[in-house]
Amino acid sequence: MDVSYLVKLLGEISRTMDENRERLIELDSVAGDGDLGLTMTKGFRAAYDTAKDSGETDAGRLLYNAGKAMSGAAPSTMGTLMALGLMQGGKVLKGKTELAGGDIADFFAAYEEAVMTRGKAKLGEKTFLDGFDPGVKALKSALDSGASLAGATKKAAEAAEEGFKAAKSMLAVHGKPAVKGEASREMDDPGACVAALIMQAAAAASA
Amino acid sequence: MKKIINKPENYVDEMLEGLYAAHPDYITYTADELRCLVTSNKVPGKVGIVTGGGSGHLPLFLGYVGRGMLDGCCVGGVFQSPSPEQVFHVTKEVDGGAGVLYIYGNYNGDILNFDMGAEMADFEENIRVETVVAGEDVASAAPAGPGEPNHRRGVAGIVFVYKCAGAAAARMKDLDEVKRIAEKAAANVRTMGVALTPCTIPEVGAPGFTIADDEMAIGMGIHGEAGIRNGKLEPADKIVDEMLEKILPDIPYTKGDEVAVLVNGLGATPLDEQYIVTRHISKRMEEEGIKVHRYYVGEFATAMEMAGFSISLFKLDDELKELLDAPAATPFFKQL
Repeated sequence: MDVSYLVKLLGEISRTMDENRERLIELDSVAGDGDLGLTMTKGFRAAYDTAKDSGETDAGRLLYNAGKAMSGAAPSTMGTLMALGLMQGGKVLKGKTELAGGDIADFFAAYEEAVMTRGKAKLGEKTFLDGFDPGVKALKSALDSGASLAGATKKAAEAAEEGFKAAKSMLAVHGKPAVKGEASREMDDPGACVAALIMQAAAAASA
Repeated sequence: MKKIINKPENYVDEMLEGLYAAHPDYITYTADELRCLVTSNKVPGKVGIVTGGGSGHLPLFLGYVGRGMLDGCCVGGVFQSPSPEQVFHVTKEVDGGAGVLYIYGNYNGDILNFDMGAEMADFEENIRVETVVAGEDVASAAPAGPGEPNHRRGVAGIVFVYKCAGAAAARMKDLDEVKRIAEKAAANVRTMGVALTPCTIPEVGAPGFTIADDEMAIGMGIHGEAGIRNGKLEPADKIVDEMLEKILPDIPYTKGDEVAVLVNGLGATPLDEQYIVTRHISKRMEEEGIKVHRYYVGEFATAMEMAGFSISLFKLDDELKELLDAPAATPFFKQL
């Protein structure tokens, strides 16, 4: 497959964020300022629009430009981290015009790595990563054992959803939810929800 | 609000226009953007050093761009981070082929925007960028354990990091070496401040916090971040003692160690008072058996018109001492 897969992927992420806008606002309002639904829809919309209209055939450049557009459109912490994820993902695919399943796994692994290092967060701290990491791992292991991209992204979406659910009982240590202390163990994490939505979109784009 | 300004929204750009008018031999700007400040004396083949952060702290951050210190500064709005685009433009301009080192204070917004700018410089221009984040305010967080992230705010002590890294770069050391020096300097500096009055962001028009007339805020940050405690104002010597009690054990020091001392006015504290403070620091250093190699007294990192001061101690070894002593000339820092 060529880079049109990535355009489709960004389009599905943007669409999924749009569909879940109110849900994200609600989740984020419990402890944060509720703007996550706005920054995620605006940010991924800008990323998709840029990718769709660019005519770019280099997978790396396409993702880099999408990330750059997202950072301009959604300059919040979460928006910037998602943009850095796209850009880091672009770095590992730089120069590629043809993509295989393994490249998509590499893209998501680089995306996770960027969010982890730039966000200075570890697994188990009730963040985006707790939804994303199980998805990235499931994607890679399914592909390694011979699954198709469609099958592997479906597994990834399920694992990310499980991760999002498991993150609920974790203690928040980052951002505004951390202020809630032990009470944060009763709250769904909006970042982990974004992670589950991205993996859900990947499954939709690969089906 | 009582300030000598025109329109609050023009505060930063008009300040910059004044700086460019006064110091064309040191600084100019790139990308047709006043807030992308770069040196007028680019040296090919030298590691470029870039800093940046919010305005309202002069001489920090831009005041240290010049010979023997920094090469570029991304200027944000008052107490606001510069954008990734600014970081990218400044990086591109100051890269002399040897890569670029970012040195800035430990604030989340700055970190993300500098990281994003570094990604752009790497992806679009193939410029190698390394980063050293300075965070030395002992009142802002506990020291980081091994392998743990540093949560301390970066304040006036960053000037020592600029100075040593700048001297190393001026000697045409490579990027790894300049970074090593910057990391070492950042690890050897500790700062603590005290505030007497709040400060007002021009576009806000009123102070964001208050300090009672007879009180001081021990440990307050340079944007008014809460410190260790608010309490009755005490004599200068007692305030210095309380600050040193936090700063000294944090490194720690033993008899015979050498330091550089930086006494920094926060914006509205007269030099007279800063020297009253310096007097007691000098006595205390003598009692502790610590040799003061150099004093720097004056304004280095302010918080608009906040009254108060900070003390930074910079532990020296032969290597850092030699770099600290090297000549430098910028609009706000001159050393023969």
